[in-house]
Amino acid sequence: MANANEADRLKQETGLQKLLRRPEIGSFAVMLVIIVALAIASEGKSFNALGLKNNIAIIAQYGIIATGAAVLMIAGEFDLSIGSMIGFAGMSMAMMLKWGLPFGLGEATPFLAFIITLAMTLAVGWLIGTVVVRSGLSSFIVTLGFLFFLRGVTEVSFRLINKSTQISGLPDYKEESWFANIMGGDVFGWFYDLWFMLGGNLNRRGEQWVEGFDARFLWWLVIAGVAYFILSRTQIGNWIYATGDNKEAARANGVPVNRVKIGLFMFTAFCATMFAACQVFDTNTSDAAKGNLMELFAIAIAVVGGTLMTGGFGSVIGVVFGAITVGLVANAVFFIPAIDGAWFRVFLGAILLAAVFANERIRKRITGGI
Amino acid sequence: MAEPYLRVEGLVKRFGPFTALGGVDLEVYPGEVHCLLGDNGAGKSTLIKTLAGVHQPTEGKIYIEGKPVAFRTPRDASDAGIGTVYQDLAVNPLLSVTRNFFMGRELKGLLGTLRMDEMNKIAHDEMLKIGIDFSDPTQAVGTMSGGQRQTLAIARAIHFGAKVLILDEPTSALGQKQQMGVLKTIKRVRARGDIAIIFITHNEIHSRLVGDRFTFLALGKTIGAGTNSEIGDEEMRRLMSGGAEMGDLKQELAAI
Repeated sequence: MANANEADRLKQETGLQKLLRRPEIGSFAVMLVIIVALAIASEGKSFNALGLKNNIAIIAQYGIIATGAAVLMIAGEFDLSIGSMIGFAGMSMAMMLKWGLPFGLGEATPFLAFIITLAMTLAVGWLIGTVVVRSGLSSFIVTLGFLFFLRGVTEVSFRLINKSTQISGLPDYKEESWFANIMGGDVFGWFYDLWFMLGGNLNRRGEQWVEGFDARFLWWLVIAGVAYFILSRTQIGNWIYATGDNKEAARANGVPVNRVKIGLFMFTAFCATMFAACQVFDTNTSDAAKGNLMELFAIAIAVVGGTLMTGGFGSVIGVVFGAITVGLVANAVFFIPAIDGAWFRVFLGAILLAAVFANERIRKRITGGI
Repeated sequence: MAEPYLRVEGLVKRFGPFTALGGVDLEVYPGEVHCLLGDNGAGKSTLIKTLAGVHQPTEGKIYIEGKPVAFRTPRDASDAGIGTVYQDLAVNPLLSVTRNFFMGRELKGLLGTLRMDEMNKIAHDEMLKIGIDFSDPTQAVGTMSGGQRQTLAIARAIHFGAKVLILDEPTSALGQKQQMGVLKTIKRVRARGDIAIIFITHNEIHSRLVGDRFTFLALGKTIGAGTNSEIGDEEMRRLMSGGAEMGDLKQELAAI
């Protein structure tokens, strides 16, 4: 049988070789280098009790939106409206908390403010997705439209109702609202308690220094964990990959391509809303400029994590490594005062380009050089 | 003679003023390879797209096991047992063999999780049945040759219940050796005895090798039909060139 021999032209690989071919391997290596380099350059400060908390805070922020952006990219679409969606969601929540529910329906609790905002952002996500699949236009241009539109709506709403484009000095809802607490409070306190008991995590007076991580750390783990499970283990995951790889083939085999895409535009809107909620309930402030440029960071991290620009391939684990890498470098200036903060963007640009080339090589290897 | 599984009567398909099919008849029997031959623009693609539920016929009837059917969507057609393997094969090169095999019809367990081991096994076994032994069904389809992809698409259609297998030029754009592989696959499917195959091709030799019955189309009409033994080589060549006599063609060429 001619074909039977041909099937075995694919070389059998050892476990180690298979590991080295995993899509996450590049971003994992870069992450390791960054962690070691940063630990040395900051003389350990970036990974002491407070350094770790602050680093994780920004990594989790990036991680939440990059997960959404990556899963959408795997399905073959972009969302440039993520940053503006963050601003819009933050404005919506803060405004309801300060000025009450719309139409004079009374005081807003943190939970109500979040749910109403989420309903709006999911509706916008649905609208974006529907416009993209119905019109057949590039999601790049449709979501670019929403980037301006949502940012504009955010500013206009702020000025009309609040007379100023920022809200600060909201009461600290974390004390009385369980919901505000799980969004903006501390999590994994046991980790720092344990650290304290083991003799570390001390401030200058010898008391326990840091109480816990920001809640967004937990949300990032939850979102990334669920996204990983859905992508790699479920039917919907198979549909997402199939949609991004060859839309027509997926459709011919009965995959509801349009519903997959619309659902994922709603997922990025959800991620942006979670980002905003964690920020609002952590700091008790909001600002029309919040989330600016975040859509580009999200896409950059997705690519650094090994997601293909053309869709059909990518991994949530890789995006986790990408978020850690980019988050650490973004924060590095706080731990190494000697360096100019702008180096962060130089670095990001460089690894982004390197990642694009690496991803393209991976794609060619998988598709046999086509 | 047994009842044809699929019968087409006076099928007409117009796109606005353009008549793509001007009354085509076709009978397809289980366990037979029915070759559909014709030049470019003869209406082969329109015919199979109508059978696959992509287009709705303007006039004429399609019968399955003697009963008239009307397909509104490709899903209707595949539910009725018509499996179409298009030229582009509808596979995703970056996905694994198994994920392609079950695309859109995944086996689900708890919470919509994939029963991956079971799916790997079925994909492997089904491919083996029609002649490809895949050691690793988790390898990406992109690593497979064109002939192997063809086999994957055929195995998939059969596994999901195709009684009529429509193969749209499965041997074009393949190397010589792979073409032979695909012809072997066609023969193996034929040998099962319960599946009718519609084999669309440009290639006279290929159709001779595997075909039981032929239908020739030209300009949207059936210009000839018959079994392998009924149609001689001369006749076949004449019909394949759209009905023009080879003699005429010779004269025309000589005149240039």
